[in-house]
Order: sequence, then structure tokens, then C-alpha cells
Amino acid sequence: MKQFSILMQKEWRENIRNYKIYWVPAIFILLGITEPVVNFFLPQILESSGGLPEGAVFEFPTPPPEQILTAVMEQFQTIGLAVLILAYMGTVAGERKSGTATLLYVRPLSFPAYFLSKWVMASAISLVSVWVGFLAGYYYTLLFFDRVEGMELFQMVGTYSIWVLLIVSIIVAASAAMPNGGLAAAVAFAIYLILQLTDGLFGAAWSISPVKLPQYAAAWLADSPDSGSLAGAIGITALIILALLVFGSWISWKNKAKTKV
Amino acid sequence: MSILVVEKLTKRYGQESAVEDLSFVLEKETATALIGPNGAGKTTSLSMLADLLSPSSGKITVAKGLTIGFLPQYPQFFPWLTALEFTEMAAKLSGIESKKARLQASRTLGFVGLESAMNKKTGTFSGGMKQRLGLAQAIVHQPKLLLLDEPISALDPTGRREIMDLLKALQQDTTILYSTHILNDAEEMTDQLLFMKGGRLIEQGSLNDVKNRHASPHIRIRFTNPYQAAEFAGRLTWEREIKGAVVFLPVYKNGPSMQQVLEVLASEKQDILGVDYQTASLEDIFLKVVAAK
Repeated sequence: MKQFSILMQKEWRENIRNYKIYWVPAIFILLGITEPVVNFFLPQILESSGGLPEGAVFEFPTPPPEQILTAVMEQFQTIGLAVLILAYMGTVAGERKSGTATLLYVRPLSFPAYFLSKWVMASAISLVSVWVGFLAGYYYTLLFFDRVEGMELFQMVGTYSIWVLLIVSIIVAASAAMPNGGLAAAVAFAIYLILQLTDGLFGAAWSISPVKLPQYAAAWLADSPDSGSLAGAIGITALIILALLVFGSWISWKNKAKTKV
Repeated sequence: MSILVVEKLTKRYGQESAVEDLSFVLEKETATALIGPNGAGKTTSLSMLADLLSPSSGKITVAKGLTIGFLPQYPQFFPWLTALEFTEMAAKLSGIESKKARLQASRTLGFVGLESAMNKKTGTFSGGMKQRLGLAQAIVHQPKLLLLDEPISALDPTGRREIMDLLKALQQDTTILYSTHILNDAEEMTDQLLFMKGGRLIEQGSLNDVKNRHASPHIRIRFTNPYQAAEFAGRLTWEREIKGAVVFLPVYKNGPSMQQVLEVLASEKQDILGVDYQTASLEDIFLKVVAAK
């Protein structure tokens, strides 16, 4: 526990001083704002782009606010997750490759504390980013469209956060396992694609899949997801995250010899 | 009293052997120089001792409760941390209490000459400053064994001198094992020499032992011209060698003592430029041993 707090302080300083604590949430805020703003100003955008025949009239149905927030989540699912992969692909691998990890590894270091400090910091920044991104999107949805129940938003973002935690766990574990950040990113992205592909092929018969969590999150805005399936998906995701934490700690220790001396 | 015993330590990567059958003992509060050309296995050996690498076979036995400090050849620091923050973290991770860690860190930085730079970020440090900081993080928890990989190689002569002085001060109550290829410095601070080549230990012993085995000490007499040297040497019964106007007399086994030589020179009233006692430098010995094995 003592080593964990020492290493957390290091991670905190790193994330502040390399500005990650600012730019990751800023990108999510931007993604959150983009969807309602673009939807609201779409007629003006099309008009100003020109090229439309004289007298042409387009009727844009006003999208419901739930649809805007679901679209925000889709943005997070693509660009947002790519940003998280880029931000944390080198969190362990980068330290080994540069040799900065060497002076940590030569001490009586607790590798679970080391890996956990990386995971906690990456998770905290990712979750804060997702929440402020959704809040920003929610604010502009409220401003330009209509309101969504606060509790529904809370349940949606809460459910989505568990999915984000899984993705962060995969990224940090991949960083611990791979020799460099680039390979860690490739592996994390490949796992993400395999998960999506598996769900696409067998998802209809597998309702307690972690990959279903974004769908269940969106379902809170319509009415509510099936509580049994949701609980099952959350349970299995928690177990996978736990397994990734154990694996990440072990592989960090196993790979300590690969640090540059 | 020995604090570390290494027995038949071996590290292989596939068929390649980086270190093979390395065995030696470190006695308490002594300095040992690990000497060898590039690729000799020095860094791999130190990495195994620092527990960064697992040996393929062999055994490392350390004294109970032994604390170790390690300085890599090119220490890398988190550039966004100040020297004080880094050293304090190193102290805490090495088990120093949080309350004492900051004080200990700032004292250590003062000791290595970084007092005025302790609040600067390490990303702004020069090579020499990084080496000092590397030493600071290695000694901040007052380890009993200090493992140093080429601690002075990257430094200019002034920096080398300063770091050597610091190491000599530390040697009073610390056991030091350091690798180097700057042999003058090794000669200055060593109780034991370990010569490595191709991953193997090819020579070991105290500086005197190694010198006795390989230094070929001799008396050198410099004459004014080669004829005089040849004429003088021709009358001697001792083993000798002539190079121009200089006569070399090996002093090992049945060779003459300096006093005997001086007596002969005085009795013959030889006109000479000088006479002195010469022994091979550690560098000469190293080159000779490495070439022979």
C-alpha cells in the first residue's frame, strides 16, 4: 500500500506535467460538443457550403435528444477509444524502452502496486474524460434540443464507464506485455476488433457479453436494459478486468529483464 | 567477511552465452573492478547481481539483509521530475520512511554536488549531472553493496576525478563492485580485479597478485649511447634485454636487486642518464592478458 501511494504520486505528477490530465478530457469535451452542435447547425452548414440548386428546400426532422447522446457515445467508441489507446499505449512499455523503469526495477518494487498505479491513473483520467465529455454533450443537447432525465444520463454513463474501464485495462495490460507502445496499441486495437467481431457473429445468443455494455448503456435512454443481462455483463466484465490486473502485474514483473540498462 | 558469493553464474540467450561460469567473492567494504572490453559480459553480470536479469544457471548468495544500490551505465530519469523528487521517490521505494526520505534525498544530492540543481527537472540535466544524480539514487538508501556500471566512462576528466573522489569516500563503509575500461582509475581504487572476456572470467586477484603474475617488473638503465649500453650488457651475467641505449634487467626469480645494479654501475663508474624501477601498468597487463586468452 505504501509503494502504491508513492507510485501514484509519480503517476499523478507525470500526467499533470505532460498535460495528459488536460488534453485527454479536452478531446472528449470536443467530441461531446460536436454531435449536438453539428446537428443543430446542419441546415446552416449545408447552406453555407453552397452548390444547392436555386429554391431547393431541405426538411430536417429535429432529432430526439436521446439520439444525440447515443451519437456522442458512438463518437467515444471510435475516436475516443483511439485517443485512450494513444494516451496510454506506452505507460509501461515506454518506461522500459527508454530505460526510466530500470531505476525503479532495481529496488524492492511491488509489481502489483506498480501496475495498479498505472491502471488507476489511466482509468481515472479516462473516466473523468468520458464523464465531462458526456456532460458537455448533455449541456448542448439541453441547449439546442430537449432535456433528458438526469438519472437516465447517469445510468447511461455509469454503464458505459464499466466498458471504458475494460478498454483501459486491455490497453495498460497490453503495454505491460508488449516491447513498445506501438505494438501495445496494435494489440489493444486488435483485441477491441476481435471483441466487436465476436459480438457481431455470436452476439445475438450471448446477452451477457462485455461488448454489449455500450448497447445497454444506450438502452437506459429508451427505457431500460434487461436487468439480468446487464448484471451478467457487468459481472463478467468485472471478472475480466480483475484477470487483466493480475495478468498485468505478472507480465510487468516477467518483462522487467527487458528494460534498457 | 564475504557479503556476496557468485558461483558459476551463467546467462545464455539461445545458443549465445553472454556470461559463462562466472565465480567470485566480494569481501565487506572492499572495491572490486570488473574490467573487460565491450561485449565482455560486464553489464549482463551486473544486471544479474542487481536482480534485473535471471541467470540461466549458477548461484548468487548475498549476506542476510544486504541492501543494494545500482547505477546503470546511462541512467535514465523521468524528465518531468526534479532531482529532489526523483531521489526522494527512490529513497521511499528503497524502504526509507517518508518523513526521513526528503531530508535524506537532499543530503545525498548535496553530497554528489547537485545541491543547487536539486529543484531543477532532470530533463534539463547535462550528462555529468545525470551521472551524479545516478550515483545519488544509488546511494540514497545507504546500501551496503554498490553496483556501478561504468560510473565514470561518460565523464570529462574533471567529472571523473570528482566522482572517483566520491566513490573513495563511500568505500569507507560500502562494498563497491564497478565495471570500467578506464584502467588508471581502476588502479587507483581497487582491492580486487576481475578481468572478463567473451563472458568469461580470465583473471582475478588483488592488484598486487595480478601485477606479480603479469607485470614483469624490471630495472631500466638509460645510457648515453647504444654502444655503451651493449658493452655494459655484454659483461652482465643477469638476464637482460637491450633496446637502443637502454638496458632492461628483469627483477623476478634470480634477477638483480636495485642495490646490486647500483653497486655495479658505481664500481664501473658508468656515465648514465638514469636508472629506475619499472613495472607494467594495469592497462599493459590488461592488454596482455586479453590478447593471451
